[in-house]
Amino acid sequence: MPTCVIDGREVEFVPGQNLIEVAKKVGIEIPYYCYHPGLSVVAQCRMCSVEIENVPKLQPACATLPKSGMVVKTRSPRAVQNQKAVSEYLLINHPLDCPICDKSGECDLQDYSFEYGDPHTRMTEERRTYVDLDMGPVIVKNMNRCIHCTRCIRFGTEVAGIHEMVATQRGNWTEISTIDGRPLETDYAGNYADICPTGSLLLKDFRFKRRVWFLKKTPTTCEACARGCNMEIHQDGNVIYRCVPRENLEVNKYWLCDEGRFNFHYIHDTDRVVSPMVRVNGKLEIANWARAIETARETMNAKKPAILVGSDLTQQEALLLRDEFLPGKFPGAPFFHFGTPEIISGADDGPADKILKRKSRTANLHGLEKLGYSGFEKLPAGTDAVLIIRGGRAVLPELKLSKIVGIGVFKRNEVENFAAVLPGVTFAEKDGTVVNFQGREQTFRRAIAPPDGCKGLPEILMTWINHKGSVR
Amino acid sequence: MADKVLSDKFYATMKKLEPRYPSKLALLLPALHAAQDEIGWLSSGVMDEVAEYIEIHPAQVREVATFYSMYNFKPVGKYHIKVCTNVSCTLRGAERLLEHCEKKLGIKVAETTPDKKFTIHEEECLGACGTAPAMMINEDYHENLDVQKLDRILDELE
Amino acid sequence: MSEQEQPPEQPSGDSQPETLFIQHFCEEARPLSYYLKNMSGYSALKKALGMSTDEVINEVKKAHIRGRGGAGFPAGVKWSLIPKESAKAKYFICNADESEPGTFKDRDLMRYTPHLVLEGMAIGAYAIGAHVGYIYIRGEYVGEAGILQAAILEAEKAGYLGKNIMGTGFDFEITIHRGAGAYICGEETALLNSLEGRRGEPRVKPPYPAIAGAFGGPTVVNNVETLAGVPFVLNRGGDWYAKLGRITNSGGTRIYEVSGHVKKPGLYELESGSVTVRQLIYDYCHGILEDKKLKAVIPGGSSAPVLRADEIDVVADIDPMLKIGSMLGSAGMIVVSEDYCLVRLLARIVRFYAHESCGQCTPCREGTKWAQDILDRIESGRGHPQDLGLILQIADNMNAKSLCALADAAAGPIISFVTKFRADFEAHIRGGKCPHA
Repeated sequence: MPTCVIDGREVEFVPGQNLIEVAKKVGIEIPYYCYHPGLSVVAQCRMCSVEIENVPKLQPACATLPKSGMVVKTRSPRAVQNQKAVSEYLLINHPLDCPICDKSGECDLQDYSFEYGDPHTRMTEERRTYVDLDMGPVIVKNMNRCIHCTRCIRFGTEVAGIHEMVATQRGNWTEISTIDGRPLETDYAGNYADICPTGSLLLKDFRFKRRVWFLKKTPTTCEACARGCNMEIHQDGNVIYRCVPRENLEVNKYWLCDEGRFNFHYIHDTDRVVSPMVRVNGKLEIANWARAIETARETMNAKKPAILVGSDLTQQEALLLRDEFLPGKFPGAPFFHFGTPEIISGADDGPADKILKRKSRTANLHGLEKLGYSGFEKLPAGTDAVLIIRGGRAVLPELKLSKIVGIGVFKRNEVENFAAVLPGVTFAEKDGTVVNFQGREQTFRRAIAPPDGCKGLPEILMTWINHKGSVR
Repeated sequence: MADKVLSDKFYATMKKLEPRYPSKLALLLPALHAAQDEIGWLSSGVMDEVAEYIEIHPAQVREVATFYSMYNFKPVGKYHIKVCTNVSCTLRGAERLLEHCEKKLGIKVAETTPDKKFTIHEEECLGACGTAPAMMINEDYHENLDVQKLDRILDELE
Repeated sequence: MSEQEQPPEQPSGDSQPETLFIQHFCEEARPLSYYLKNMSGYSALKKALGMSTDEVINEVKKAHIRGRGGAGFPAGVKWSLIPKESAKAKYFICNADESEPGTFKDRDLMRYTPHLVLEGMAIGAYAIGAHVGYIYIRGEYVGEAGILQAAILEAEKAGYLGKNIMGTGFDFEITIHRGAGAYICGEETALLNSLEGRRGEPRVKPPYPAIAGAFGGPTVVNNVETLAGVPFVLNRGGDWYAKLGRITNSGGTRIYEVSGHVKKPGLYELESGSVTVRQLIYDYCHGILEDKKLKAVIPGGSSAPVLRADEIDVVADIDPMLKIGSMLGSAGMIVVSEDYCLVRLLARIVRFYAHESCGQCTPCREGTKWAQDILDRIESGRGHPQDLGLILQIADNMNAKSLCALADAAAGPIISFVTKFRADFEAHIRGGKCPHA
């Protein structure tokens, strides 16, 4: 492999990688704002300029591909002076909002100014300000904080595919936003907050909720569709505050769709069933586990039971059902996977847009297919009782039966006609494997503890099996 | 769908230009010029109509149009006076000329007279430095100006 | 201070310098009939079409035509950078966006000798293998755009442009594309973006326009005056053109523009390198208005570092100007007598650059406006002693650090004015007002 010299160290590089990436590989940080590995290179911020031997002007590292034998100095006096200069330029119009800005603690401007800038200000002129218009329900705009890196503009055109985020006017008066206070149309609006290096574009959903340095981060996988975008759950005190994408060039690159990003809210929904429930005199009421299990077993002690297994469950859960519970407790009974209306089998899954989304709105459709589950189309004739086991995503089919038992995650208004509900845990409250549409195995990781009244599926099934009661 | 404001002539002109460019987007500046020539300024509605014609997002028209200083986003008077105040014209008295213009018409730079006849703007170098000071009124250059000549020109405008 | 160059000896017996353009700067010269009778009449194009493209490029290389837009890049070399084969269509573009303050030569070339420009384009297009051409003309030149359009129609009708030019099978169609008021669109890659229907923002290079320019295809962009010289090169030879210039590697004549406080401002076409700035001002322009004292000269459009009155014995050509730390640029000389406040002048110059900055890159976007604000403050008598050191650092932090040269064009005047006329600035700060007011 060819080599170049960076700060005195000989470094191997792959032709086609820019200097920022090559330097990163050997632990040398070159600061940058406008560069993003998932977007086109514009070399506008000028923060990454480095000195190259035999080249008179400083060169932007993001736009420079190393050549064999190139000698680069990232901290030469000229490079350092430029870093100070750019930092000064970016701060002369930037409001001192850190105390009230969500981005504090994970802000590139903060971090690089601290590391590469000068702590003193010489700016005594009046600062430039803008009036912000609304940009819709996902993103809140604060143009005064913008450093004009144009990542958001490029994201809109290159990734989201909608040319809605634009720069208007020119020069020092350049403003970046949607036009006329129009809301963002894209389903990928949350990514704007991720890529913005300052607090200029922020998530309304997360605004003022938590300081980022309090958040504990757990790497996991999104459950919102069959792509299984890699994700991180950020929580504090067992409450999830937000989800952000994790880089995976094979699956989701650097992005998350809004549905996946904000999917977690149902986990803390007050409408979630978090205690065992049984129907008494036509109304659902809270019961203890023993009673609920008893009722569930009684209900399912029917002539022709059928079992629906959500394709939002993990491989481990699906195996436990297929190999232990169902043959043991419901031998010969028909069982199906369900999840998305009209998506009966893996073959029905396909891209739902040109970016990330899949038609299957559950994460493990392909996993269950691999385990031999068939897709649900309709109940076999004569079915008199249905056991539904699901995570939080599988869409419940309409069932005109009185004998329905639910195991797993449900909203109160979904189970009004259920005979019993045994509350389970969501994807964020358990470990497990799911298989995405590429056949790739990925993992859910437990990020928070479930509510007290909820149990994991193995425990629920074991309790069911071992329950000493009069019925099976 | 908003009603079309631009004339058939606009669309015919654009149609004739289309084969001269390999991409429709390249027609954007010519289209904005043609629309402004017709209506005098570019409203949101007009720009959205241009967006529809070029088949691009309305925001894309806005980002391009607002970059350039010749496009008007508010109505301008019948006579749009643009006085160059750049280096050579300033050296030859443009500042006094501009002041005189403001006083004579009773408005300041960027304003329009109440009868909607005149709008004044400062302009950057017009490329008439050898005949400074110079100004444009609508599409015409007026050069070698002094206060008297300026008065004569303005007085003669209907 | 570097040494001044003395202009070479004028050839004896030669009282009138050779001029190519200026004698035709009148309304009568506009129509094709005049062009056929008194000028090239597309004979240079005819000749070129009978040569190989390599031969044409070589002739232009021999001529040492330095780009007349301000950068001074040799036209022949530029043409030779276009790859012979290309999957994408090639384009030949004339940069008629003349917006550099102090520059006004291209306007006259276009409105009086439009066919020269068209013929130059056609020769260039043939040389690089392009069949589509655009004249990107600044939006304010409405009349000139109309004249060029009429000339194109005349030429097409007579078979000198369009399809199957003069029966040779070579096609070349020119379209006029008007700008809309943005100085930055004179920058090559910003011009290309503007042509494509985008914001006029300069591009990262590489890729260079010779490889991927307009619409992704190999593209040449040449200034109006550069192209106007090309028919002469073909008709009278590259060597002849090169010898017109007095300094090696700088051929042909040059149209100098003089404006400001001189008695006879205007266009002066002289052989390249044959005159000093002093001679231009005092011999050709008859000296300073009202015989006042000369204070300063901005020699190459407002981007060029300013010269003091004692620095004007420099030969007005590309290399001599570079040697003394300034630049010839567009050869637009702006002359300032003791009458006008230099602080106010610099503030106006910097205001121009702040207004015209495209806003993409940090140093230019922030630096030009910051400098403008400080200069306005100094000019109005509210300056502080530390402002001068600050503004020099702002300029230094912009210089050679941005995507394009606009920031350099703002930095140059700031550094040269404050350094060479520091006393004027200090007087404003000390006195709390403009001494001229």
